[in-house]
Amino acid sequence: MDISLEKKHSDRADAKAGKKPFWKTETFQGYTFMIPTLIGFPLFCVYPLIYSLYCSFCDWDGYNPPAWAGIKNYKYILTLDPIFKKSLLVTFEYALINVPIMLILGLALAVLLNKKLPGIKIFRVIYYLPTIVPAVAALILWQFIFKSDTGLLNGALRQIGLPTVGWLTDENAVLVALSIIKWWTVGGMMMIFLSGLQSVPAELYEACELDGAGGWAKFRHITIPMITPILFMQLITGLIGGLQAFTEASVITGGGPSYASHFVNFDIYRTAFGDAKYGRACAEAWILFIIIMVLTVVVFRKSETYVYYDNE
Amino acid sequence: MGERLQNKKANEMRNILIRYCLIIVFGIPMVMPVLWMLTTALKDNVAVFKMPPQWIPDSFHFENFTQGLVKVDFWRRFLNTLFVAVLVMIGSIISSLSVGYALSRFRFKGRKVWFYLIIGSMMIPGMVTVMPMFRFWSRIGAYGTWLPMIIPAFLASPFNTFLTRQFLSTVPKSYDEAAKIDGASNLQILSQVIAPLCKPLIAYMAISSFQGAWNDYMTPLLYVISKPEKWTLSLAVARLSAGSYGAEWNLFMAADIVYFLPILVLFFVFQDYFMEGLGSMTASGVK
Repeated sequence: MDISLEKKHSDRADAKAGKKPFWKTETFQGYTFMIPTLIGFPLFCVYPLIYSLYCSFCDWDGYNPPAWAGIKNYKYILTLDPIFKKSLLVTFEYALINVPIMLILGLALAVLLNKKLPGIKIFRVIYYLPTIVPAVAALILWQFIFKSDTGLLNGALRQIGLPTVGWLTDENAVLVALSIIKWWTVGGMMMIFLSGLQSVPAELYEACELDGAGGWAKFRHITIPMITPILFMQLITGLIGGLQAFTEASVITGGGPSYASHFVNFDIYRTAFGDAKYGRACAEAWILFIIIMVLTVVVFRKSETYVYYDNE
Repeated sequence: MGERLQNKKANEMRNILIRYCLIIVFGIPMVMPVLWMLTTALKDNVAVFKMPPQWIPDSFHFENFTQGLVKVDFWRRFLNTLFVAVLVMIGSIISSLSVGYALSRFRFKGRKVWFYLIIGSMMIPGMVTVMPMFRFWSRIGAYGTWLPMIIPAFLASPFNTFLTRQFLSTVPKSYDEAAKIDGASNLQILSQVIAPLCKPLIAYMAISSFQGAWNDYMTPLLYVISKPEKWTLSLAVARLSAGSYGAEWNLFMAADIVYFLPILVLFFVFQDYFMEGLGSMTASGVK
């Protein structure tokens, strides 16, 4: 019934199409509303991608036109440049410290707060509060908390008799310190998981309870599988975002101490806008881009085995 | 039987108690930094460095706020930031509604291709496009202006477009078909039928794009750093602590607070949209 109706309708539309002036056709009307993307996509995606790829093979000081230089930039970055390798390493280290703990913590807090109890809404607000502090303000605040001798954190450590840490001055501690700032904003992740948890049908839990399953079994066999799509999405966006850390280095660490927080994006920024080596910066950016692409594809491939989709 | 029931109840009570304890324990590190920011902003220069940490200052120095405001040239930067953020907000809403509407309601050739291109473009790391875009904006004379922050918002950011398209595919077509039969034009359908049905989406996009522009640090750093009269608050606040070695942390914290305050006010007014929106929008993006 439905199908025949629709067919009739589209037939009629087709018959009419012949008489319609072109600006009334669906294609033309559709493309009219597409105008922002029709301008934005070529300008913000196609042009910069092609141009930066081209420039990655050029010497370019940002002032004179780029001059073709073959694979010189890539060769330099991958063989000679000591900083780029270091920055790749710390960027990965940072993402690996960050993303898994963020996911686990976010999920744990969501489970913790996913219960109708008096006052629970206030706690949700409290947990969410850090995520609305603007990044720059949060970084400066934590820079103050992390101060070696007079910071709040070391002051507290000293009070309970623990050794203090040079959070931002010790090259072994700086990534942990920056991760703590990230973990502080776990509330956003928590809210995403919370809405995921609330969309799990209650019947599933009830059925499980009838079978005598305890809390952990329910979590393991219902909650986790049901929210794998969200978990997976957060993993991807977390990884992509984590590998592009920039503001942390730019605002509080300046990449230091001894390049321990010199993230790739910060290195690219410095190479381009500090040393005016735009060609080399483009090559670095493309290497990062390729790494992110490969990683995303790998995660997607692997995901097919454990991500559960409702409609399949 | 009765004993078992009682046992179960006691168990439940204990569980709830444990839950509350955990919630409070995890909640403390969430609020402490913000409270520390506030008390520090009220201390004098000496009390700031007092050890062990002092949670309630001996004397309250509210003049830190007036000094902090002066230090970051607050009102000028506030208006700059507000101007940019409001335009970004308007641009994001209009452009993503428009493109989302096209993608979900029109059957035109290449619709699928465009949709996948938009999704694909979300994957591109920002840094890859920064150098060419910097060249582009400089070439057209937009260096030192806010155009590099504002114009992109009017040209449909991929993420917002994607969200809108996903959201609109859950809005029944019968509404706009009814309007079409009544002879409404497509623009009328979008603005008078579709848009009112998208209130939660629009609220979410309004808040997130405003917040995004308010917090943005890299774009102003790239394009207006050489023009202090064009600085946004993010830049002014970051430069304040980086530029002066005097370590006037009480003033830095006061400046931090006044920078954060407008967002905090927005948050308490539109709290549900901030918090619920994030979850449901992202969840709808997954499906």
